[in-house]
Amino acid sequence: MNKNKRISLALASIATMTVCFESCNYKPKNQGRALYNQHCSSCHMENGQGLGELYPPVAKSDYVLANKESLACLIKNGVSGPVTVNGVTYNTAMSGNPQLTQNEISNLVYYILVELNGHDDSYSFKEVKQQLGQCLISQDES
Amino acid sequence: MVNKSWRIGLSIVLAVSIITACESETKQLPILGPTIIKNTVVDGALISDTTFGAIRGFKFWDQDSNVITENTVEGKLYVTDFFFTSCPTICPKMKQQMLRIHDRYLDEDKVVLLSHSIDPVRDSVQRLKTFAEKLGVQTEKWHLMTGNRDSIYSMAKHYVIAAQEDPDAPGGFAHSGAFLLVDTKRQIRGIYDGTDPQEVDQLMDDIQFLNEQE
Repeated sequence: MNKNKRISLALASIATMTVCFESCNYKPKNQGRALYNQHCSSCHMENGQGLGELYPPVAKSDYVLANKESLACLIKNGVSGPVTVNGVTYNTAMSGNPQLTQNEISNLVYYILVELNGHDDSYSFKEVKQQLGQCLISQDES
Repeated sequence: MVNKSWRIGLSIVLAVSIITACESETKQLPILGPTIIKNTVVDGALISDTTFGAIRGFKFWDQDSNVITENTVEGKLYVTDFFFTSCPTICPKMKQQMLRIHDRYLDEDKVVLLSHSIDPVRDSVQRLKTFAEKLGVQTEKWHLMTGNRDSIYSMAKHYVIAAQEDPDAPGGFAHSGAFLLVDTKRQIRGIYDGTDPQEVDQLMDDIQFLNEQE
């Protein structure tokens, strides 16, 4: 009896762990990290430290924190012209990622802000949606 | 008693096998090319002989407009790759890794780095200069080279490194991320993935090995 109970308890905990593993993979920061590695890490490097004075850091970056409202549009549409990050001026054009969906950009912004820059996680998907709506409008107008 | 001597015997056998295993592991680096195949006909039968040649001569210009030829690498070990400055994919990681080699061998005159741009139209000497400065490169250690388009592509082919213009590829060019290690006889001794820090660790171990061997 006791043995059976233990076995079922073990089975139950395995089942719970499996569920957790499944759901853990869908956390925004995990998808954000995967997207970061796929789309950003070539230039900004794995830990977001950037490279020399060619590619600016996106981790511990004053630019990221000061421009958090425009990150979503920047990722989608790219940026060119000089930008100053942590006191260094960079002037390498970044191509956009128009193929990324709104959810993907949200998760990417979340990863960059929260994981790479220690921003609190109050950043919401709704904000990203609003920002993307606005950058598309301003782009259409220009 | 019997049991004890059996155990001692076993440990001796084990110890000896461990020691010999270590001793027999003398490091060697293969010669990977270029190879020359010589066909001769002897008594009506075709005999193919493979010998190792050297990387042929070349002439390019670096970020300071220095002419870079096979004489620049005479008596030296060199690491070479193909890239372009506006490459949005693997090149930045290759440059990050090449920079590790640059920094490690900055004071070792016997090691030089040669990077070929496969986009000579856009990658002018001036543009390579700016790129090198922003990366913190010492010209005498790391030559970022441009030159005649056909010479660059035929050189890539000679090193057996894939490089081609491809309008569908990001940035307009498709190329391999390989680093080649070439010895003082201008023979290729190793091919490494230039985007992988562990492979580049191996490359630096191999540089050390070749340097000590010569």
